[in-house]
Amino acid sequence: MKISLNWLKEYVDIGDMPVVELVNSLTMSGLEVEDYVDQKEIYKDFIVGFVKEKNKHPNADRLSLCTVSNGKEDLQVICGAPNVDKGQKIIFAPVGAVIPKGNFQLKKAKIRGVESCGMICSEDELELGDDHDGIMVLDDSLIEGTPLCDALNLNDVIMEIAITPNRPDALSHIGVARDVCALLGKELKIPEVKISESLGEASKFAAVEIEDVENCPRYSAKIIKDVQIKKSPAWLEDKLKNIGLRPINNIVDITNFVMHETGQPLHAFDLNKLAKQKIIVKSTDEETKFTTLDSKERTLPKNTLMICDGEKPVAVAGIMGGENSEINENTKDILIESAYFNPSSIRRTAKVLQLSTDASYRFERGTNPNITDFAAERAANLISELSGGTIIDGILDNYPKKIEPQNIIIRYSRVTKLLGYDIDKEKIKNVLNSLELKIVSEDNDNLTVSIPTFRPDIEREVDVIEEIARINGFENIPTISKISITLDKKTDETTFAELLRTTANGLGFYEMINNPLQNKETASVIGTPVFVKNPQSLDMECLRTSLIPGALKVVSQNIKYGEKDLQLFEIGNVFNKLSDKKISSVDDFTEKGKLIFILTGKSSKKQWFAKEKGYDFYNLKGMLNSFERKISLDNVLNDSYNNIESNFYDYFIQKNYKETQIGEGGKLNKDLLKQFDIAQDVYLFEYDLELLKSIIPDKKYYIEPLKFPKIYRDFAFIFDKEIDFETVRDFINKKSSDLLKSIRLFDLFEHESLGRNKKSLAFAMEYYSNKRTLTEEEVEKDFRSLITAVTNKFGAQLRGN
Amino acid sequence: MLQEKIEQIKEDFSKEISNIDNDKQLEELRVKYFSKNGLIASLFGLLKDASKEEKPQLGKVLNTLRSGLQNQFNVVKEQVSKDGSSKSIDVDLTLPGIERNIGSKHILTQTLDEIKSIFKGMGFSVSEGPELESDYNNFEALNFPPDHPARDMQDTFFISDDFVLRTHTSPVQIRLMQAQKPPVRAIMPGRVYRNEAVSSRSYCMFHQVEGLYVDTDVTFAELKGTLASFAKQFYGDNLKFRFRPSFFPFTEPSAEMDITCFICKGDGCKICKHSGWLEILGCGMVDPNVFDNVGYDNEKYTGYAFGMGIERIAMLKYGITDIRVFFENDYRFLKQF
Ligand SMILES: [Zn+2]
Repeated sequence: MKISLNWLKEYVDIGDMPVVELVNSLTMSGLEVEDYVDQKEIYKDFIVGFVKEKNKHPNADRLSLCTVSNGKEDLQVICGAPNVDKGQKIIFAPVGAVIPKGNFQLKKAKIRGVESCGMICSEDELELGDDHDGIMVLDDSLIEGTPLCDALNLNDVIMEIAITPNRPDALSHIGVARDVCALLGKELKIPEVKISESLGEASKFAAVEIEDVENCPRYSAKIIKDVQIKKSPAWLEDKLKNIGLRPINNIVDITNFVMHETGQPLHAFDLNKLAKQKIIVKSTDEETKFTTLDSKERTLPKNTLMICDGEKPVAVAGIMGGENSEINENTKDILIESAYFNPSSIRRTAKVLQLSTDASYRFERGTNPNITDFAAERAANLISELSGGTIIDGILDNYPKKIEPQNIIIRYSRVTKLLGYDIDKEKIKNVLNSLELKIVSEDNDNLTVSIPTFRPDIEREVDVIEEIARINGFENIPTISKISITLDKKTDETTFAELLRTTANGLGFYEMINNPLQNKETASVIGTPVFVKNPQSLDMECLRTSLIPGALKVVSQNIKYGEKDLQLFEIGNVFNKLSDKKISSVDDFTEKGKLIFILTGKSSKKQWFAKEKGYDFYNLKGMLNSFERKISLDNVLNDSYNNIESNFYDYFIQKNYKETQIGEGGKLNKDLLKQFDIAQDVYLFEYDLELLKSIIPDKKYYIEPLKFPKIYRDFAFIFDKEIDFETVRDFINKKSSDLLKSIRLFDLFEHESLGRNKKSLAFAMEYYSNKRTLTEEEVEKDFRSLITAVTNKFGAQLRGN
Repeated sequence: MLQEKIEQIKEDFSKEISNIDNDKQLEELRVKYFSKNGLIASLFGLLKDASKEEKPQLGKVLNTLRSGLQNQFNVVKEQVSKDGSSKSIDVDLTLPGIERNIGSKHILTQTLDEIKSIFKGMGFSVSEGPELESDYNNFEALNFPPDHPARDMQDTFFISDDFVLRTHTSPVQIRLMQAQKPPVRAIMPGRVYRNEAVSSRSYCMFHQVEGLYVDTDVTFAELKGTLASFAKQFYGDNLKFRFRPSFFPFTEPSAEMDITCFICKGDGCKICKHSGWLEILGCGMVDPNVFDNVGYDNEKYTGYAFGMGIERIAMLKYGITDIRVFFENDYRFLKQF
């Protein structure tokens, strides 16, 4: 929200406090000044100029070559605006001036071969308004050479303040001034307005009825007759322009002015357009079509709070007036509405209509129900002053159930307990007084405070403590340098994921983090996605059902960047919908942690010591084995293989713990890869994190290193090609004595010389015992019997014999 | 006379041996001093001319000389034989080494790790919660009433009337407090979602770390102390900080913490919007309504909570200007950290 310093000064005397200090004070008390513009500073280089001559630019049709006087000398200036003309007083930016829009410094420049010594400016370039169709033409009476700040009275400071949703009271100049008063110990000056006591004459001209008292607790109205609608005087237009509002006419401008002064939104109706000169506030009992004053027809749902006249709706309460009762240049008599509406009712309607106005913004945060009369009278006085209208005596004020200030008890001890230091009692009382939180009674330990109705955010003791802390300054709360630590159990639920990450890094994998929001097609590749009701775009309509599609997109993108050899992993949650119903409980969907490993490209590049080699299935399998060993899962999972081509994998491996599948992965099918625009082989594996975590042994035990020597034996056999490695290995394990502790395949060889459909497998075997030294004889005996068994079982032929 | 000779030989030997750098020179030196006709032998030859009284004494001196020089010789001999230049092996040591690839954690994970380790050092546990969260845990339990403008502070992705993609990690606070009695002292990292247009400065998904401490005597002063200590450990010792009043529905009083802009050192720059300060986190004292919602006695217990965005911190710390790079997973980016 924009706050003008000059305007603010009408309600609080800040003396000669520098702007920087005021800004800092406001920020440090919770009204964060995000930015401020000191007009004297940013317009200091600009002056009034006089266009003495205007000629065509010799080399460009659309440009003019002007002679501009800056009061001392004549300068040659090129101007592109169509409205520039000889004899105009204009805003002249000399070389060196900093143009506010774009924040750039003007330099002497050659434009199409002709030198330009400065610039003639538009409203837009100076951020004085949004007109960028042409240069800004000034009043003829101004004298060239006059500084622009003096000529246009630009001596304000405009602050952009971020008002948090709990502070509706600060959405006005008086509201901000009240905080400034509290911070500086000053007196708030509120304009004097005489409030009419009774209905008076006004009741002869109009009547107000509230049907929905719940949503409209108060409705006040003033009537002014015989107004003359016209342009507002400069002081009013300047004030509004300074805070970013566009002046419209004297009536609308005054309602805006009073809203920004007091925080009370007002609306002006053309009294003669109100059927039966009646106002009825009620909620609709059916869907209604209504045209608001921005000329848009809107559909209002049932139960929308409306302002109606004797026949029809004339405004959406608290949000926007209707076209049918809008004031225009022919309006003679007006009714000023100044009401208090239930904040959540306004918010609901504003949400449904997707319409946020300055009025609804304030009403939905909570206005002060007890200033509606003040604001209406204030507006009426100004309107009569500026439009020549006659204020009708009396106020139409319907306030069936008065909203009274509430009392709250504050314990000094609680202030100390919460903030951690003692604040002097007198200081506390001063803060409360300065914020108009009236102390109604007190004793040694407690204060009873009456909370004014402009502070709907203050409902409890703790809210008052915040006010005390805020105005007294958070910087005055000590920053203690010692803390006590409770000695309860400490846990870290992320350690498992950390172990996985570290292990993955050791194996050479880089971690990626992908956006779980995906388009429908991508998310549906594997599971049943959960949809977002209000997505940013169709590209991010669903939650991922698997980490695979996201990882493939990363692979695809990296290959396009020329990074073709990739080793990546990700840990993240995936989501699957379980039923067709909409999601109303945790049983309708799953959210599971997953870990994916992905390999593609070359495992080693061509180098002086090695040939180039691509990643293959055995790289994947081996890395998974290394990974599992590091997390204490070696020999815990059993693998099952499948080499029947599917539309997902060419072949794949599943890892199971007992009957439960822990993960799955393999070589991806080319057609699938084509969907992701990937032309190289990709190997990946996805683990289920919760399952993985559940089977990891929570403790490791020491195993004494072997004390006795090992005995080694090798053999190689020629087998039929279809006999697989694991079958042979398992058979050897079964047939051997328990002295055989390890079997390693050290050679695989296929060649015509072995015979058709034959292959040779060579095994290295380790024999040892944990208890004693083995003899050559017993090992030899076992080894010989294995040779016979393998030969017989598989029809294999021992090689080298 | 002899003494002078001895000194001369000592001096020459030292000089000569210091210039030795190969076996050949070493052998020449050995012949010159230690061989049968060498210089030391010739000194022993002079013994026969010495008087009877002097003989034992001189013999001792010469023996000391010989063993001394021999020791020096042996040391150098050992060095020379170890030295590659003395016996060169035919190998090109300038060939490139054989490297191994070590992966790395994502820079956001690394940033979070650093934050975690600081808070664990201050006695915090680490907890997690789901991303697809109930509206109740994400808003209502945290004192965001329905139809309240505070909900506009966080643009929400709705899954259904009752479920949302969590907009902050704060619902984990609710889960923790529902599950255990005070004291509670934990940080809660995780992924959160905001329905915001994607640009260089905002993304529809990011990461937060939340902190919560509830006990019988937790104060705002302790909150300030704890966060000041965090900031100094994370950003460096010489840093200035400030707490500004702010608003969050689940804390009262609420504050935002700023630190001196470490890019311009407080002078004002583009990154800090010319204020000299960088906002790094939001915090406050747990609102009594939140305690009511989880069944904690709000008279007996007080607590503080804080939260910070990890992307923002990493962007500031590493000079990253576009938030989208975190989620593009460009290999060249991943390998940098
Ligand atoms: Zn800076």
